[in-house]
Parts: sequence; C-alpha cells; structure tokens
Amino acid sequence: MELLRPSSLAEAGEGLFLHGGTEVVPLLRDGILRADRLVDVRGIVPAGVRGSVIGAGTSLAELESASGIPDALREACRLAASPQLRNMGSIGGNLLQSTRCWYWRLRYPCRLHGGDRCHARDGEHREHAIFANDFCASAHPSDVAAALVALGARLRTTRRELAVEELYRLPDEADRRTTTLEPGELILELELPPVEASVYLKAMDRRRWSFPQVGVAAARTADGATRLALAGVAPIPWPIGGPAELDAATPLPRTAWKVAVARTLVRRAAAAVAA
Amino acid sequence: MARLIRTEKEVEGRYEEVWLLVEEDSLDQWPAGPLAVVGRPSERVDGRARARGEAVFTADVRLPGLLQAAVLRSPFARARLRRLDLDAARAAPGVRAVVGPGELDVLTRDCGYEGAPVAAVCAETHEQARRALALARPEWQELEPLLDPDEAVRRGELHGRREYERGDLEQGLADADAVVEATYRTQTVLHNALETHQSVCRWIGESLEVFISTQYVWGVRDEVAQAFGLPADRVRVVCEYMGGGFGAKNGAGDYTLVAAELARRAGRPVRCALTRREENLCAGNRNATIQRLVAGARADGALTALGGEFVNAVGFSGWSAMTEGPMQMLYACPNVRTTTFGARLNLPPMKAFRAPGFVEGTFGLECLLDELAARLDLDPLELRRRNHTAVDPRDERSYSSKHLAECYRRAERHWQRRHDVRARSTATVKRGVGMASQVWFGGGGPPSYAWVRVGADGRATVVTATQDIGTGIKTTLAQIAAEELGFPLERVSVVLGDTARGPYSTLSAGSSTTPSMGPATRSAAAEAKRQILDLAAQRYGEALRIENGELVAADGTRRPLDGLLELLGEGQILGTGARGPNPTGLEVLTFGVQLAEVAVDVETGEVCVERVAAIHDVGRVVNPLGASSQVEGGIIQGLGHTLSEQRLLDPATGRVLTRTLDAYKLPTIADVPEIVCELIDQPDAQLTNLGSKGLGEPPIVPVAAAIANAIRDATGAEVRELPITREEMLRALAAARERERRGAPAAV
Repeated sequence: MELLRPSSLAEAGEGLFLHGGTEVVPLLRDGILRADRLVDVRGIVPAGVRGSVIGAGTSLAELESASGIPDALREACRLAASPQLRNMGSIGGNLLQSTRCWYWRLRYPCRLHGGDRCHARDGEHREHAIFANDFCASAHPSDVAAALVALGARLRTTRRELAVEELYRLPDEADRRTTTLEPGELILELELPPVEASVYLKAMDRRRWSFPQVGVAAARTADGATRLALAGVAPIPWPIGGPAELDAATPLPRTAWKVAVARTLVRRAAAAVAA
Repeated sequence: MARLIRTEKEVEGRYEEVWLLVEEDSLDQWPAGPLAVVGRPSERVDGRARARGEAVFTADVRLPGLLQAAVLRSPFARARLRRLDLDAARAAPGVRAVVGPGELDVLTRDCGYEGAPVAAVCAETHEQARRALALARPEWQELEPLLDPDEAVRRGELHGRREYERGDLEQGLADADAVVEATYRTQTVLHNALETHQSVCRWIGESLEVFISTQYVWGVRDEVAQAFGLPADRVRVVCEYMGGGFGAKNGAGDYTLVAAELARRAGRPVRCALTRREENLCAGNRNATIQRLVAGARADGALTALGGEFVNAVGFSGWSAMTEGPMQMLYACPNVRTTTFGARLNLPPMKAFRAPGFVEGTFGLECLLDELAARLDLDPLELRRRNHTAVDPRDERSYSSKHLAECYRRAERHWQRRHDVRARSTATVKRGVGMASQVWFGGGGPPSYAWVRVGADGRATVVTATQDIGTGIKTTLAQIAAEELGFPLERVSVVLGDTARGPYSTLSAGSSTTPSMGPATRSAAAEAKRQILDLAAQRYGEALRIENGELVAADGTRRPLDGLLELLGEGQILGTGARGPNPTGLEVLTFGVQLAEVAVDVETGEVCVERVAAIHDVGRVVNPLGASSQVEGGIIQGLGHTLSEQRLLDPATGRVLTRTLDAYKLPTIADVPEIVCELIDQPDAQLTNLGSKGLGEPPIVPVAAAIANAIRDATGAEVRELPITREEMLRALAAARERERRGAPAAV
C-alpha cells in the first residue's frame, strides 16, 4: 500500500482519502475499505476557524475551544469520542463516518454491503434506527452532523456548494451509498449562518466516549424559527420539523425506547433554545 | 516440620478433598492496628517502573528471532471443518511453521463455538501469518447451534446439576407472612484485561521457556509439561508484570500450547497473542444467568424460606459457578432449597471472573431481599440485621472470624444519608440509596512458600515464584518482610514471577494471594531474623532486637545493623517459610456491605451512580493504600457490569457482535462515582500468623444489587435484569407506573 502526501489538489490523483485516520484506518484493517493508494489530504484541506467559515480539516478538539463556535456544534464536538480521537479527527471526516451497525462492521452481507437483507431488522438491533429503517436499520453515528444540520450549515467541496443535509441520502435498492459525495470529491470548508441560540443534547450508554443512542440538536434563527436534527435515529442525520414528527417514528421491537428518549430530548432542546 | 494431611481445599467456591503437604505455623500474630510498616499506606514498590515504561510485560518480551502466530478460528457457533489447505498456508511468504487440527489437542475440526481454534501458523510478522491463514481457504459445514439456556436444561445438555436442601422449603413458605417471587437475569460480560491473553514460547534444547500473562505460573508449568510430555521442571514459566487477569488467565490456554508447538516446529521463539477482537470473542467470560427465586419471611422479617432455580449459561466449556452460594450462605434461614444447572451451549467458554457466581447470585438474592423488605414495610438494613447468622447456616460450623454486624453498624452513617439524598430529587431526577451485603471466600491456604535472603549489603530480598497480577502483592510482601525483619521498607526487594527462581506459590485467584503468600513470607523473614540475631549475639555477646534497621540492646544501646551484616562477606542469610494450615473445622469467609447512591432521570432512563460506600471485613489490612485501590477497582468493574457492559450475540446464529471497545462498553473515568472505602481491619485471630484474608474479589460482589436497590428506593421501579440500560430502566419505570395506576402501591 502506498501513502501519498500531496500539497495541492492537482497532485492528489486517485486514491483513498485519509485525514485523521480514526475511521479510515480501522475500516482498512477490518477489510471493509480497500485501497492500493492512500492520499493524506492534510496538505490540501483547509484547517482552522475564520469567522463563520470552518476549514474541513479542523480537528474536533480545536472546535471545542475555538471562539465563536455555536453551542450546538461545540457540545457535539465535546461529547464525541475521546480526547485522543478528537485530537486526530477532522470535522470533514466526521461528517463522512460510517454507521456503527455491528452487522455492517463485521461484514455481514447486509444491504449496505450490497446484500439482500438487513440483518439488524430481525437480529440484534437495540442501537438501531427508528426512522427510515425499512431498507436498512443502521443508525448514523455523527453528533457533529446533526448539529450542523440544525445550524443550517453549508459545505464547499472541490466541485460544488451544498447544504449539509444534501450531503446525505438514504440507501436504496439501486444505490447503497449514504452520501452524495462523488469519487475524488473533497469537502473543503463549512459555513455557518448566524443563529440566536443552539444546543446539543446526547443520550449515551456511558457518560463519555460513546456514539449517540439519541442526539438532538436545536437552533433558533433570527426569524424565531427552531430547527431540529437528530443523530443515531436513522441511516443518515435526521432533521425533524417538530416534536409531533416523532409520532411518525417506526421503531423496531427493541428500539421503541429510543422514541421515548428522543421525545424528552427534543422537548428539552426546544425549551433550551426558546427565547 | 512438614506433614501430610487430608483436608478440604476451596478455590472460588469449588471444594475438593485432597492430600496436602503443610508446615507448622508457630509465630504469634502481630497486635492489631498499624505497625511500623504493615498497616500503613505504601506506594507500589514497582510504581515508578510501571509509570516509566520500564516494567516488562509479556507483550514487551522481544526475543531474538521471534516469530508471530495467528490462529484460524471457527466463524460459526457450531460447525465442522470439511476442507483446509494448510499447504497453501505453509507456502505463503514469511511462514515458518504450521499446525493443523488433530495435531494438537486444542485444535479441532468439530467446533462447538465461534472462535474455537482450528489451525495456526507462525511467520516473520503477524500480518504474514494472518495472510497465510486466509490462503488455507477453510470450507465449513454449518450446524444448528444450541443457544437457549432453558432449552439446554430441557435437553439435558449440561455441565452438571447441583441440588441443595436444608429444612423444608414448602413448610417455610407456608409459615411465611409474606412471600416474594421474582426472576432475575444477568448478562454475559467480558474481562477485557488491558493486556490480551498471550504467550511467548522458546525451546532451549529439551527445555521450554514460557513467557505468559498469567495468574498461575506453576499451573501453566504443569499444564504445558503434561501437554508436551516433559518433566515439570523442564518447563520454565515467567510472568514478571501482568496487565490484568480477573480470572480469565488461570490456565495455560490454547494460545500457549499453540505457541509452544509452533516454536518446536519452527525452531525459533513464537509469540501467540490474542488481538482485541479475539479477546472479545473467545478469551473467557462471566456467563449469563437466569435466577428464579422465592423468599418468605414472618412479619418481623425473620426469613422462613429461600428457594432458587439457577441456570448458568456456561457456554461450550467451563464450569458451573456457585450462583446459589449467597442464598445458602448469607442469612440464618432454616429452609433453603437450590437447584443449579450449568447449561452447555454453543457459545464461547466461560472462565472464572472476579467472584464467579457470587456476583450474579448476590444480585438476585439481595434485590429479592429488598422486594421482601418493601412487602413487609421493613427497613432493608434492619431486615438484614435480623437475619444475621453467627454460624455458617449450611453446617452450623463457626467462622474463623466474622464482623458483618460491625459492617452493618458502620453502614448506619451512610444509610442515614438516604433522607437527604431523596430530598435532593427533582421532578425528573429521582435520587435514592440502596444497600447489599457480601459473602465470599478469600482464606487462601497451603501450600505456598517464600525465601528471604539477607546479604552483606544490608538488604533483604524476598524470593518466591508467585505472580503480581496487578493487585500489588509485590508491595504487600515487601511490607510484611520489612515488618518482621525490622528493616525499613526501602531495604526490601521482592523477586517473583519465575518458576525457575523461587519456590511454589498458590494461584492468584479466589482472593488467595495475600492470605497464602503473606504468612509464608512472614515465616521466611522470621527465620532470617532469627539467624541475624544469633549472629548478633555471637558478635556482641548479648541478646538484641532489630528496629528500623538498627540492632537494639536491652539497655537501649543502638548499633547499625550494617556493621554486623558487613561481616557476612559473600555469605548469605537464608530464611525459608511456608504457609501453615487453615484452622481445622472453621469456615474462613469474607464479609461486607456496600451502599450506593443513584440519580435516575425518569424521562430518559439515565442512571447515574453518585456515591458508593464500601465496608468490608477481610481481616488485617497490610497496605491500606493498595486495599483501597482494590476496592475502587472492584466497584468500577461492578459498575460496568451493572450499567453498560454486555456481550451481544446475533440471536439466529449465536455469533458475537460486540468485538471492539466502542461496542463493548466498559465504564470510563467519567462514570466513576465518589467511592468511600472503609475496612474493618481486625486480624482474624484463627487464621495464620498474619490474620489477613483476601480482598481481590469481595468489592465487586454487592455492587449490582446495591445499585439496583438504590434505583428502587429512588423510583419505585424494579429492575431485575442486568445491565440496567436505558431500555431496561424505562421498561421498569413504565411497569411501576402501571402498577401504581392499578392501585397496587409502588414498592417505596
């Protein structure tokens, strides 16, 4: 395996992009990702915070302490992973994390791997999805993604600009991917529009270093509207219009409890950002 | 003088009748309380070496020419290997030796659990070894696994069945004013020691060296010697530092036999180390249990009946731990009946895990006692006091010592806090306090030996082939030798962990190292001291004693000890010591009580343990600092067992899903509550020259029950299943609300 360290996009060429490596390296080791060539993009992707623009290479640790970061994003970073992982992991990479579904991680021939069934649906699924879980019941693990969706963040990639929720797509029979990122496309920057108040609440099964059972981000904008987005409840970050949308959840037998937790956290988050 | 006796030997609740070589123990015990060195807090004598990375663990052993092994394991819970191309593996780059099914007892074609070892290769790198195994292209015939413990009991697929009865259970239930019945379930949890199971094996001529992370260097020696048909003394086993065992490293393990065989075939040393994923798959576990329990009591709280059917979901191999033990041993109840089944399943084997059986059984029994207290409207602490027993209720035997009543007295102060704790509840966060009692073994026993060597440099070295599995026995033994010799602690070293350079020691399991090795070490130090004082009397013409490294005469004249010891030149003083017998006809047990304070968010099901007070009676405490560290470790491990740890399986295939530490959730430092540790510290006057019992296991025993009882106190919800996840907590809260709605009062 070859490792390239290009200093410009032009030099990058073909290969598997690698930044902090906290996700890509374990997936390579487990044989889920395969690559002949790794491209370390740390010399290409901007890092650091300039006003409302965040370089996609900024580490989660940096965002915990940088000034001017909205509370929802700061909390999502603070409550993610462990200090060691937050020192290495970039915000751009965090958005592209794969699910923690054990069937997927253990390479069961599930739908996300191109197979014809979701093993979690009739198997062990207590950590799985309560929305959009018919085709694939995996849960999206990114706290940061839910926070960014609630904050209305926009992304700039090497090819386009898009709203952060447009980065994601639900997998289906024809296309099993959960993001819209094209091969060779890199996330470069994020831009955060101003919000009046924001918060991120997270239920974990221990107090630190745990992916969200349910994460709820809420942000109130200048026009008084509240945007809500959930982590850990669907195969992708899941925006909801309001608490009533939780009535439409389709929990599996062992994920009904997540709906109850989500209901409480949504109510608390909405109250926390209310004027 | 040594003699052979016929006696009962206990290890972790398993008794066997054996011939035992014992030596007399003629020393009087020291007085209770802190002495010059013993009973005073001491840092670990090897703490600096550990902190600086100088300590050599098995994972650090780098022998010249070392090869790395990888093991091919069954991917199915039950399967038969149809085909395997070991020649392809043998021809792969870097491969130096291969061993297949049938060529070593532990390698098999008929696999009864996922992870069962089938074949192994060693290569220049671990990566090459793994690639070679992939080339062997195994073909499997997958078979239907047996996964349900109750079904295994029905089919008679058992690792044994035990019956126990005293009195008449039905009569006891008929005599009761209140009867409570409940089913409790505990989950499978994993040891997940920081250092995974591993060995490095090297043949030197006809002899074999084994570097291994183990709790029993002598047991590994005998097992490996037997497997390879060697005289036991041709096998040298070394474990100088160890990164945790918790019961899963009592034996040699298949990885050691694999490493030894591959090393023999390759003619080079071989390491066989489990990866973290293998560690989570097949390195042993605390098996799940189902406990169907009943208790009856009179209105005043006096227990009239305790009954239980216990199903231990043992796995493919292992043993059926004494889950029924607490029910038989903890209270003065005249009518007790227990039935215990060890279900044989197509799941990875159980191994001993810190108080096996008693952790699980105490959860069931002590939660049931609180349900009974609620039914009788009695204070839970008072209920336990009223059923305290002064003799072992199984056979009326006396205890060598028992201070459980004193533990209850000291618990009072922490128990009183519950009024304030409850008062700090809010509309959504309910607080409460719960308690649970503890009984466990921990008396240790013979044989165990130590030598003490004193030279002209004025230093003493304790030499014994025991092992420090992380508990701090090295420090404990140094303190005991220093105390007996009258030396300052810094003049004593301890050499251990090598069967080739010290005498036999017991295995470090069953909380037995301190109560076994402590007295042996003191006896060796006393023998060395006697020789020093003989020499002093010859040199100075009067009787002297040693104090803080000085010779003191009857008139108080002090002389430096060095002045005498310098005269030794190349000569040495050698004292030998042995662990004497356990007291005849007495039960040697440890006792305690823990009180947990919790906060439960009744809307999200989050349980936060805020404080645990632990009061244990383990005889004399040699090192209060080491002891509190054991108590904290036990409570933190128990906290994981109670709230977050669980090995999960695919229900259809029985394959393990939680193989990494993000999925298998150990507690983090942020989960650790305030821990208050109080030890009774009364020497057991009947037990050895030291009066110490073991403390490795007692602190984990009552944790889960104390937390579950605190949850009931806080919320009225009855949690009967571990771990108490948000899902289980929300279920129990909903059930409590439903009970209240139907008019039955909640159990608060």
